[in-house]
Amino acid sequence: MIWLSSRWRIAVMVLPAVVLFTLFFAYPVLYGVGYSLTDAQGFSAPRLIGLDNYAALGDDPFFWLSLKNTVIILVVSVAFLVPASFALALLMQQRIRAAGALRALLFGPAIVAPILVGLVWVFILDPRVGLLNRLLVPLGIPEIQWIGGDSLTPYSIALVFSWASIGFAMTIFYAGLQQLPDDVMEASSLDGATRWQQLLHVTVPMMRETIGIVSILLVTNVFKIFELVYMLTGGGPVHRSETLVSYMYFVTFTSQRYGAGMAIAVVVLVLGALTSLVYLALARRGRSA
Amino acid sequence: MTSATVTGRETAPPPAPATERRPGRVRHRPTRSPAAERRRRVRTRIIVAGIAYLVTFLVVLPILWIVLLSFQQSDQILSDPFSVQTLTLENYRDAIATLPLVQMYKNTIIIAAVAVTIGTTVSFMASFALTRMVFRRRGVQSALLLYFLAGLAVPVYVLLFPVYRLDLALGIFGTYAAVILPYAVVSIPFNTLLLTGFLRGMPGELEEAAIIDGAGLFRVCWSVVLPVMRPILATVVIFNVVYVFNEFPFVSVLINDPDLATVSLAVSKFQGQYSVNYGGMMAAATLVLLPQLAIYAVLQRHVIAGLTAGAVKG
Repeated sequence: MIWLSSRWRIAVMVLPAVVLFTLFFAYPVLYGVGYSLTDAQGFSAPRLIGLDNYAALGDDPFFWLSLKNTVIILVVSVAFLVPASFALALLMQQRIRAAGALRALLFGPAIVAPILVGLVWVFILDPRVGLLNRLLVPLGIPEIQWIGGDSLTPYSIALVFSWASIGFAMTIFYAGLQQLPDDVMEASSLDGATRWQQLLHVTVPMMRETIGIVSILLVTNVFKIFELVYMLTGGGPVHRSETLVSYMYFVTFTSQRYGAGMAIAVVVLVLGALTSLVYLALARRGRSA
Repeated sequence: MTSATVTGRETAPPPAPATERRPGRVRHRPTRSPAAERRRRVRTRIIVAGIAYLVTFLVVLPILWIVLLSFQQSDQILSDPFSVQTLTLENYRDAIATLPLVQMYKNTIIIAAVAVTIGTTVSFMASFALTRMVFRRRGVQSALLLYFLAGLAVPVYVLLFPVYRLDLALGIFGTYAAVILPYAVVSIPFNTLLLTGFLRGMPGELEEAAIIDGAGLFRVCWSVVLPVMRPILATVVIFNVVYVFNEFPFVSVLINDPDLATVSLAVSKFQGQYSVNYGGMMAAATLVLLPQLAIYAVLQRHVIAGLTAGAVKG
């Protein structure tokens, strides 16, 4: 390739991506970080105020509430999804009629726009018109405020997120299971291992890396949950059901406190970057193994 | 998959090939008679299949519910949504009359086509240069690669407000370009990850032969490298098209003209637009959902590969 690697040829190939990426990605990130250090809001000219926005976040109960909600969604959905989708992938390995069709159906929700997922689930979770209470109330269970109440919304969002992600996670596990070498399984069953022992001592340890990757992907996706909040509750009542990004969106665009909004955005950025570092460490260890 | 050939949920199945390959399983339960063993295995298989079908049903249920409601009169939805005697097509007449279906699909397709073309093209060019061409200083090469890949760690939410300001400053706010450019650019990190990964595993002899035959850089890329990269490019394109179709945060900030609304933006307005006309809202949702699911049904394998690329090796 050395013959075609003159300086201008390299420039022609690389520059379009570099220019676009710098203008619409790198520069905006720096701009956002810079804005988080100002008191910019509405139409007034921004003034530099150092870390005041971050200090103010510490005193903002809604920020802590949105962080708490995000953590609830994270813990509930990851704790449920990882074992559930793993179990589902194991099930799908068994000989089931039309297993291929089942896997395709399970993956289906992953391609539906999150905004549409939100709309669909309004009609499941809404206390009055929703399917859930329609089924439960006739059984004598009192009307439950799945969404829009005081405390249940983050759990309901975790449920919706799990619905949308279970097929996706299952697919990754399934692909991982397919790649396990057959001879190890055969050897362990010849050695007299029961199915259960095989699962615990052979399959799970060999899948450790995939389990890590799925968990991190789910964590990353939880940090991106926005549309569900937007459609299910709009963050209400009084910001009780916000996630970090939905609250950032509110502060920035609805109440137009750009400086404060960008401070939350930087918190999201740091959390995202940390998650990616963990992912990178896992992926690298997997490659060298 | 041999699953399709397996029959017999009431009758005992013929000895399965998979079992024959693992004689150990039977040998370690010597106390059971072969018949009891077979019955036990049939029972397990029925339970396993039952769970699999049940879970799948639960996952599909919300979609079925929406489709049922879309055929139900709005007042019926409040009183008795399960009744099947009152089904009507009226909601669809409503939805088709009020929903600018053609317009929103046109907008989305234009935006997706241009954004994905730009994003894939510039990513391919950069990836080719960063893996194949010989830089005078190798440090520049790896630094550039790292620069693009670092974008993977950045949640796009950080970009919303800055890009909004940038669009205003560039005078493209409120045009297709307002979302096309950020969509193209946020795809660069992931595209670069997949494309450089593929290029590294691809032997360079073909290119060298072409160069010796007198091909220029463009010919090498277009006629030699691109054809070989078709599968990975399909993955990249599918991933990005699905992203653009489903994206909401950017479009909600950068497009405020309803005539330019994408499908996602239009759906976000349904609750306000139809308010208590639940039937109309559900018919509209179904009209958006079904084409997507139909395309998915046809391209299923590719879509799944595209959306799990990066997490699944090989």
